[in-house]
Amino acid sequence: MPSFVCRLGLGYTVNSLKNRWTDPIMNTALELREVTKLYGDFRAVDALSLVVPTGCVCGFLGPNGAGKTTTLRMILGIIEPSTGSISILGKPSAMHVRARVGYLPEEKGLYRKMKAVDLISYFATLKGLSRRHADERALNLLNRYGLGAFAQTKAEALSKGMSQKVQVLASIAHDPEFVILDEPFSGLDPVNQGVLEEIIMDLRARGRTVLLSTHVMQHAERLCDRLIILAGGRSVFDGTLAEARAEVPATVRLKSLDSLEGLRDLACIRGFKALAEGGWELELSAGTDPQVLLEACFVRRIQLSQFHATETTLHDVFVKKVGLGAREAVCR
Amino acid sequence: MRNALIIAWREFAENAKTRGFWFGILLFPLIWIVTAQIPRLLAAKGTPTRHFVIVDLTGRMIPVIESALQRDGQRREALAFREWAADNRRSGVSAQQISLESFDLQTTLNQIRPQLQTNAGTFTPPKVKFRRVAPPASIASLGDLSQLEVEVRAWLRGGLAYQPRGMDEEVSLFAVAIIVEETTTKTGPALRFWSENQADTDLRELMEEALSRDFRQREYVRLGLDQKVITGLETARTEVVNLSPRKAEGEERVGLVDLLRQWAPSGFVYLLWVAVFSIAQMLLNSVIEEKSNRIIEVLLSSVTSTELMAGKLIGIAAVGLVMIASWIGTLLVVMLWLVRFGGMTSQSEGALAQVPLELMTLLGDSWILPAFLLYFFLGYILYAGVILAIGSTCDTLKDAQNYMGVIVLLMMVPLVALTFIPRDPNGPVATFLSWIPFYTPFVMMNRVAAGPPLRDILGTLALLVVMDVLVIWGCGRIFRAAVLRTGQPASLVQIWRWLVKK
Repeated sequence: MPSFVCRLGLGYTVNSLKNRWTDPIMNTALELREVTKLYGDFRAVDALSLVVPTGCVCGFLGPNGAGKTTTLRMILGIIEPSTGSISILGKPSAMHVRARVGYLPEEKGLYRKMKAVDLISYFATLKGLSRRHADERALNLLNRYGLGAFAQTKAEALSKGMSQKVQVLASIAHDPEFVILDEPFSGLDPVNQGVLEEIIMDLRARGRTVLLSTHVMQHAERLCDRLIILAGGRSVFDGTLAEARAEVPATVRLKSLDSLEGLRDLACIRGFKALAEGGWELELSAGTDPQVLLEACFVRRIQLSQFHATETTLHDVFVKKVGLGAREAVCR
Repeated sequence: MRNALIIAWREFAENAKTRGFWFGILLFPLIWIVTAQIPRLLAAKGTPTRHFVIVDLTGRMIPVIESALQRDGQRREALAFREWAADNRRSGVSAQQISLESFDLQTTLNQIRPQLQTNAGTFTPPKVKFRRVAPPASIASLGDLSQLEVEVRAWLRGGLAYQPRGMDEEVSLFAVAIIVEETTTKTGPALRFWSENQADTDLRELMEEALSRDFRQREYVRLGLDQKVITGLETARTEVVNLSPRKAEGEERVGLVDLLRQWAPSGFVYLLWVAVFSIAQMLLNSVIEEKSNRIIEVLLSSVTSTELMAGKLIGIAAVGLVMIASWIGTLLVVMLWLVRFGGMTSQSEGALAQVPLELMTLLGDSWILPAFLLYFFLGYILYAGVILAIGSTCDTLKDAQNYMGVIVLLMMVPLVALTFIPRDPNGPVATFLSWIPFYTPFVMMNRVAAGPPLRDILGTLALLVVMDVLVIWGCGRIFRAAVLRTGQPASLVQIWRWLVKK
């Protein structure tokens, strides 16, 4: 068995981890090694190891209570891990590189009495920008993302969507190299979600690294170069979207008056399931093109009244990887 | 430090750049001025003329009461005229003493007219304070006290509106005074005063004094005593000279100015209390807002918790200093105005006129201002540290109120002590309280005027500094541990664990 397929059960291959930690060519923005966070007896994060390469948008997925926010707080240096080590932008703590890191927390809020431009400028000055530079940046960002008219509006008078956009802009006003966005899309309408996607695309285009925590799988599929799925404080998947899709077999639903016995000998079919509403669901082995099955039916003279190939989505992968654990967590 | 200062500036601007803040600052001295003027305004405008009825069963006391009422009215008129004359005299001219006892409006006005400004208006005498009205015939004719009082009670219970004989309109009856001959004791006639208003005692006291005086006069005559000798003795007073051993030889006499020096620290203690109390609330609001809005998380990804704490403490302290400086500044401006335009100079009449000058001198060349600033700073650190810790453990102001209740109770003690410490500044209670760090700033500020032992000054100061350091250290630990916490407010046990956790 080739070493690259020798999986650790946590979604890693021995070689891939080894390469990521040791390959000097690989530019790593973030690295966690065996990080654990204990609250009393409760393990919020359990021996978590992950690597985020520079310049990518990395999706950080997981059900509620998976340990995402705790991990993000540890990455930011807001809380200390119980054991393990963290390296961010080559430093052992985000506090050493805080001017190069931006953060949008899951629960969002602003100083109600501050104007939008002052808010963005304030957070930028805390990240090291001079007052004048911060003011300029704040105005530029507000103009660029459609909030120029509201620059002098107090936060209490902004709509929820506007407030959230102001917060996003505040997190990137100092032009950070590494941006952590925790549930940035929650509460935004589709138009503003589009604006936020645009912001993230811009960051990637300029070579910034983005760690994007989200529950919306479509966003992760559209935006992320890499995906990390957390469940129960542990990583259950770490890889690309294609690798994620390969985790869950594609299925084909078909209906025919003829017998499907002729297909039993096909190696690419992993299983047959009779459907209650009539017809069959065939589970294909990873990487199989459904066209192969269609061709086999044609060759074996099986007349089809329906043939529907379903593509594996990230949602399927997520449910498969964390579904049971998430249910258990909810029940607890 | 840079980040702490950025946070401090935001905290300062958030509070000091609002109209409400400056309105509150101006309102404070305004409230004091209005409060000081209310009794005068009430006396002049607010209190209505008190209409009353006398039923004199002795048949000879009404002239005595009338005479006393006339004297009282004359005195009040003289006092009002004095104020009017002071407001309307020409600058630099000393107002003539206006006698309160033998005041005649026209004569006095003619006497001081040369000193008045040419555009001085007309003096309006104050309205009559007490007016006797005739009783109803049904009561006036009764000669038996018990029957009379039954009627009076029924009459008063029926309502106070009454149209006396000889008057065109109804009046509100204030009291019915029954004067009866007292035969069993040697106290003269007895006054039975029926009134629903038991708070305003002026009329009752005036009548009591008039009747007592008349009785004494008649007794002197009856006993054959020389009236002139008695009057002379009654008005004789022991001369009291108030001296202070602290003052230079030849200047030992204590005047109003010295009393001012003695009591000024109490005023500053009050200022200190109001300032610490006000800004502590601001600090609590600030922490709770950041916690409930979750801004705290963004802040802590940008600055350390120590920088955040320091920034908040510095920013809110600056707000407090601006607040105090504004109050003292307002006081000085008013004083300067009085000295410059009010005609008050060191040569002007009465020690009262020297209060503004003396207050300014006191602030300029005494220890009061530096001590005030020192105790403000140390006291603020102490309370602010605790409040910061409380804020960090609670998500809402409602949660924080439970803990704040204790703090407010703690802070009430120095306010209560303000009433007795100036009278006994080196007594056991004051000494004891000054060694409790939470009270040291307030109590020592009050005591220093009385020259407490040096060991008390230095010892309490050292203890206060040590306590400040401990509070900042402990509250910093609690702040760091609690500030990201959400949900139920932390229990005391949990807070203790954060404090002692290694």
